[in-house]
Amino acid sequence: MQKGHSAFFALLLGTLCLARFLGESALSLYVLFALTAIVTVGVSLLMGQAGQVSLGQGAFYACGAYTAGVLTTHGCPGAVALLVAPCAAAALAVVIGVPLLLLRGHHLAFATLAAHLIFLSVIGEMTVTGGDVGLQGIPRLRLGPLELDSVRSYAYLSSLALVAVVVVARNILASRPGRGLRALSSSELAAASSAIPVGRYKLAVFSLSAGFAGLAGGIYAFYMGYLAPGSFPVLLSVEYVVMATVGGLGTISGGVLGAAVVLLLVHALSRLATTSGMPMSAPVILSYAVYAVLLITTVLFLPGGIVSLVAAASERASRRSAKKASEAATSSSTTPSG
Amino acid sequence: MLRVEGLSRRFGGVYALENVSLNVEPGELRGIIGPNGAGKSTLFNLITGHLRANSGNVFFRDEAIDSLGAHARAQRGIAVVYQGARIFRGMTVLENVMVGAHRRTRHGFIEAALRSPRSRREDEAVRLLSAALLTLVGLGGLGDRPAESLPLGQQRSLQLARALAAEPTLLLLDEPASGLREAERHHFAELIRSLRASGLTIVLVEHDVPLVTTLSDRITVLDLGRVIAEGTPAEVREDPAVIGAYLGSPRAS
Ligand SMILES: Nc1ncnc2c1ncn2[C@@H]1O[C@H](COP(=O)(O)OP(=O)(O)OP(=O)(O)O)[C@@H](O)[C@H]1O
Ligand SMILES: [Mg+2]
Repeated sequence: MQKGHSAFFALLLGTLCLARFLGESALSLYVLFALTAIVTVGVSLLMGQAGQVSLGQGAFYACGAYTAGVLTTHGCPGAVALLVAPCAAAALAVVIGVPLLLLRGHHLAFATLAAHLIFLSVIGEMTVTGGDVGLQGIPRLRLGPLELDSVRSYAYLSSLALVAVVVVARNILASRPGRGLRALSSSELAAASSAIPVGRYKLAVFSLSAGFAGLAGGIYAFYMGYLAPGSFPVLLSVEYVVMATVGGLGTISGGVLGAAVVLLLVHALSRLATTSGMPMSAPVILSYAVYAVLLITTVLFLPGGIVSLVAAASERASRRSAKKASEAATSSSTTPSG
Repeated sequence: MLRVEGLSRRFGGVYALENVSLNVEPGELRGIIGPNGAGKSTLFNLITGHLRANSGNVFFRDEAIDSLGAHARAQRGIAVVYQGARIFRGMTVLENVMVGAHRRTRHGFIEAALRSPRSRREDEAVRLLSAALLTLVGLGGLGDRPAESLPLGQQRSLQLARALAAEPTLLLLDEPASGLREAERHHFAELIRSLRASGLTIVLVEHDVPLVTTLSDRITVLDLGRVIAEGTPAEVREDPAVIGAYLGSPRAS
């Protein structure tokens, strides 16, 4: 308990420090990171703890964004819209999930991908969402007396949201429903025999991950002030899956780490690709290639993701220090006699 | 307590279980024996809801449970220890037992996310109970080990602790003593006796005939998917059909 609390405060402090002290140019990348990590934590839970793959998280992100955008452009207070956004995404996941979770394995992946495409075309057709042109004039978020109008203020908001999501995910995993999820990811049959409603739990974690995505999308809407179907390509959904896999499935830190590492890598590569002398198509090709290469490399050579590397390294370090300690103990006990 | 009526299950064209009926009284310890492939595990799977019957009914406490899913039957108080090692990998030994207590606790996702007072209280109580159950089945002190690191016999004991964590009304045990060493087997028999004494209804499938005979109130003998005999241990041992089909023929295990 004590340890959990101090880790929580360290995390909170760390993210807030980043939001406070990063330079202007790095801030927008930081906001992107925090919003992405919120989504990938959910994806990591869904894939690692419930054994389901969703290629539709981008649609839930978009759902949250459009919910917040449409509500505020119709006069709803921003804070309320930001609360409704994750709920709307979670509800959409329930609607999609009820028939889908009856299917097993890769069906959910294909079906969520289809859901993403359908969602985009619906958004593109509806007038309330601004159609293909997009939704414009979303007011800046007001929280009481505070108006969030700078990139830095959105860095604070998104990092607070990330911390909240990490805490919620952690609490769930450490508790009764989390144990149920982890159990069913190991053996659905044995989990059902322990009275765990397997289908309902899968639906719940699917909906939870969608809620996280919806929250990130809601913040994104206020941050950008403008939304269009083109902001939520299918590649977005693929990115989340790659990030969660690279980071380490089933772990919360894996979701966060994966988002950070992949985003930084893509950022560096896109700067490289836009240097003079590179062909026009280089950025697009490089960004697709980097996801493909990362995914394949991780699956083949590092199935536990980056988190497993970190865990192995820290274990080795602790074993080495334990060995050193015991060597020191034996040598100090043998020296006097010898 | 448990009533099975005319239960049949085919795989392909072959009956794994054919027109089986039995009635287990509250507090009874029922032994089920029969050669390999007799249909014992199939019978359990039909009772727990992991398989659907082709015909026949299962009643639990006078309620027809045929249409219920496996988790709903578990929720009503049917717990099972499977023949194979069906532990939850990637979780600790203690967490495996805590999953078993799912049935007796209430808090869901929202309360867990907010760490509500009830969720803390339940988790703490379940942790204590689970640690005590581990000690009971002889796994005390192993709670923090990854469950898959236990040898097979201990995984079986772990399953028993997990089943007991549900505080079931009916406990189904499919060859729980296989893989146990002689001393462990003795401890296991004592444990089953004390569970029976506490009023728990138990159905025990076991190849170790002497063990079943000493523990059971009544024994049902299955062969080729049918009940060929039923009665007290003494009656069953004298039954010519049983001697012919089962006890008489030397067995490998
Ligand atoms: N899923 C299945 N698919 C096809 N056949 C099956 C299946 N499960 C069981 N059977 C068949 O049904 C028959 C009964 O099997 P069951 O596992 O119930 O026997 P058992 O009495 O538990 O045997 P053992 O003592 O070896 O555990 C066997 O002939 C088996 O091959
Ligand atoms: Mg069997």
